[in-house]
Amino acid sequence: MSMKHELMAACAALSFVVSSSAFAGENNDLEALRAEIQAMRMAYEIQINKLEDRIEELEGARDVTPTSVRSSKSSAQSSNSFNPALSAVLSGSYSAYSEDESELAGFAIGEEGERGAENFSLGETEITLSANVDDKFYGSTTVALVEEGGETVVELEEAYIETLGLGYGLNLKAGRFFQTIGYMNEHHAHADDFVDRPLPYRAFLNKSYNDDGVELSWLLPTDFYAEIGGGVFSGRDFPSGSPNDSAIGALTGYGRIGGDFTDNLNWRLGASVLSTDTDGRDGNEDTVSFVGDSHLYIADLRANWAPTGNAVHQEISIQSEYFYRDEDGTYEDTDAGSGVVNYDDHQSGWYLQSLYKFAPQWKIGARYSTLYTSDVPTGLVGTALDAEGHDPETWSLVGEWRNGEFGRLRAQYNREELSSGVEDNQVKLQYIMSIGAHGAHKF
Amino acid sequence: MITRTVLVMIVGALLALPLSASSARAEINIFACTPEWGALASEIGGKHVDVYVATKATQDPHHIRAKPSLLAKMRSADLVFCNGASLEEGWLPVLLRKAGSAAVQPNKVGYFMAADQVDLLDTRAHTDRSQGHIHPEGNPHLHLDYGRVLTVAESLSSRLSEIDPEHEEHYSIRLQKFSQMWQEKGKRWSQVGHNLKDRNYVVTHSQWLYLQEWLPIHFVADLEPKPGLPPTAQHLQSILDTIVKGDITGIIVGPFDDRQGAEWLSEKSGLPIIDLPFTVGGSDDAQSLSALFDVTISRLLEAE
Repeated sequence: MSMKHELMAACAALSFVVSSSAFAGENNDLEALRAEIQAMRMAYEIQINKLEDRIEELEGARDVTPTSVRSSKSSAQSSNSFNPALSAVLSGSYSAYSEDESELAGFAIGEEGERGAENFSLGETEITLSANVDDKFYGSTTVALVEEGGETVVELEEAYIETLGLGYGLNLKAGRFFQTIGYMNEHHAHADDFVDRPLPYRAFLNKSYNDDGVELSWLLPTDFYAEIGGGVFSGRDFPSGSPNDSAIGALTGYGRIGGDFTDNLNWRLGASVLSTDTDGRDGNEDTVSFVGDSHLYIADLRANWAPTGNAVHQEISIQSEYFYRDEDGTYEDTDAGSGVVNYDDHQSGWYLQSLYKFAPQWKIGARYSTLYTSDVPTGLVGTALDAEGHDPETWSLVGEWRNGEFGRLRAQYNREELSSGVEDNQVKLQYIMSIGAHGAHKF
Repeated sequence: MITRTVLVMIVGALLALPLSASSARAEINIFACTPEWGALASEIGGKHVDVYVATKATQDPHHIRAKPSLLAKMRSADLVFCNGASLEEGWLPVLLRKAGSAAVQPNKVGYFMAADQVDLLDTRAHTDRSQGHIHPEGNPHLHLDYGRVLTVAESLSSRLSEIDPEHEEHYSIRLQKFSQMWQEKGKRWSQVGHNLKDRNYVVTHSQWLYLQEWLPIHFVADLEPKPGLPPTAQHLQSILDTIVKGDITGIIVGPFDDRQGAEWLSEKSGLPIIDLPFTVGGSDDAQSLSALFDVTISRLLEAE
């Protein structure tokens, strides 16, 4: 046995030396050498195996009746095993746009909701630490380093604790986290199927809503999946408004059901609400501000189908969300000099996307997203909120290739018509790689 | 459709509440991550357990999404019986956290990982993902080892007794029966297994490693250049070159493996593809643990 191991080690060492020294040399030589070493290794192994079997035969019949194998795992732990799971997500992109400017007609949006940076950009670099605190709590924090206007900004995306086994299907989460509303909101952007988020997320949630507060969820004791929950939050994040106003809060509530239609087709349907009472939400680079009540209702659906029964090889997913925002308050567009104008109306939007994994490493997808806004009151005619009857829409196509589970590359094409007559053709190329602890395969 | 489902949900929730509160549970609900451990749970638990199997033989247990139906089942589980050694690391922790059930959290009595009961092969002190998708704890696919299955069965029986002391005798009798059957089968398997001596195989992924532990066979090449990374043309070519030189019996393929690489190699080399069930339900005739081993050995013997 030891002879075999030594030989294998020697081969491995040899291949390492060969591969590292030939690295600068001709690629073909390298491949040829590798193939040769592999061939040698296999040929040797076969010979050695034969010899080993001969030896065993000579030593007497080999007893292949195995004995039971007990674990000899020691209970001693090194201090290292108490370290939290550490992971980082590296992403970078290149974007090209046919139009210089991108204005979303009829909506006052936050900074994150704007069209992404042109040219090369790092996007977000996320670092996550997570671990069980003890037998009752789990803790996790994600820090994102974001490039904004030539500066690197540190954003605390998430920092929360969550109960483990409160019983009765109850779960309490506290701190800062992506709230459970809609489908995409609780997912980190790097887990998305497209490079950018669909229009409703950009307009209504400034890409995503992550506020500080407490959320309670209850998994119902039913045979199929049903969950309800809700939370109370500080109201620091868009669409709630100004972070320095401590008096204003936000409320969320949601209900979800889901299950399997067949073994190969699973689905989830949800409805959620986000209610805020804001005394100052700034949009469009602080030129438009809203004061008043804002209620956002979302319906979401996601279904995954594995045609062959194995999602690793082939999978088709469909995902759609509908947004309806009802607002009662005042808008002011300082750029247009509108003054404070009463507003009591609603806006809406939706998207539908489908992804098709046709081979283990390849995925293609398409998405349509659109927004609707009603006619503005006279005081707001000609302001940023006046869409002049245009409904912003975007068509997107995406192609993705991944190597193993942790690295992927993708290319996306968008045709965006966010304001009347302005057709923006966009190309985005992106890499997303994760290192460190294994991420979760969330639904 | 939607309104109907919502109605069903509301009614279901209302009905389930008093039901779950009043029913003195007669059976232990077992959430088994993979078919083989589901089968073992039924063998040992018998009529006192209700086993839910989270995955099918055609699914790669590593790449499972924490889908809604799993969450619902996890909530009512008294015992989570999974493989461990990071095989389910992408989905089991999420389910455990979300399900809000105290008894099945790690280190609790309701948390039972097969890999924690035995020593693993291929443990690594230093790991790096350039080595592919590897598990630092060792190769997790231990259920194809005759001996380790028996050890897991023994531990499971005592764990069930711990959870449900009332039926301790039942579990130890079931274990005795299983162990007797297993050992009898084992004698035959090893006798027949002698005929496999000297046989070399190409495999698709390192999931077959434990067969080598107790059968006198050898796996000499892996279609994946690194675990979890798909075969490359160049890697396949290098294997093909060796096949011409060495004597290899066939290419072993499991139910959730990608067949492309294996088929290419088989066509070029003339080696047969040997379809093994890998787990319970992986072939029509492998509907129990002993049938899984029977079928595995007979298919290996068939392909000469």
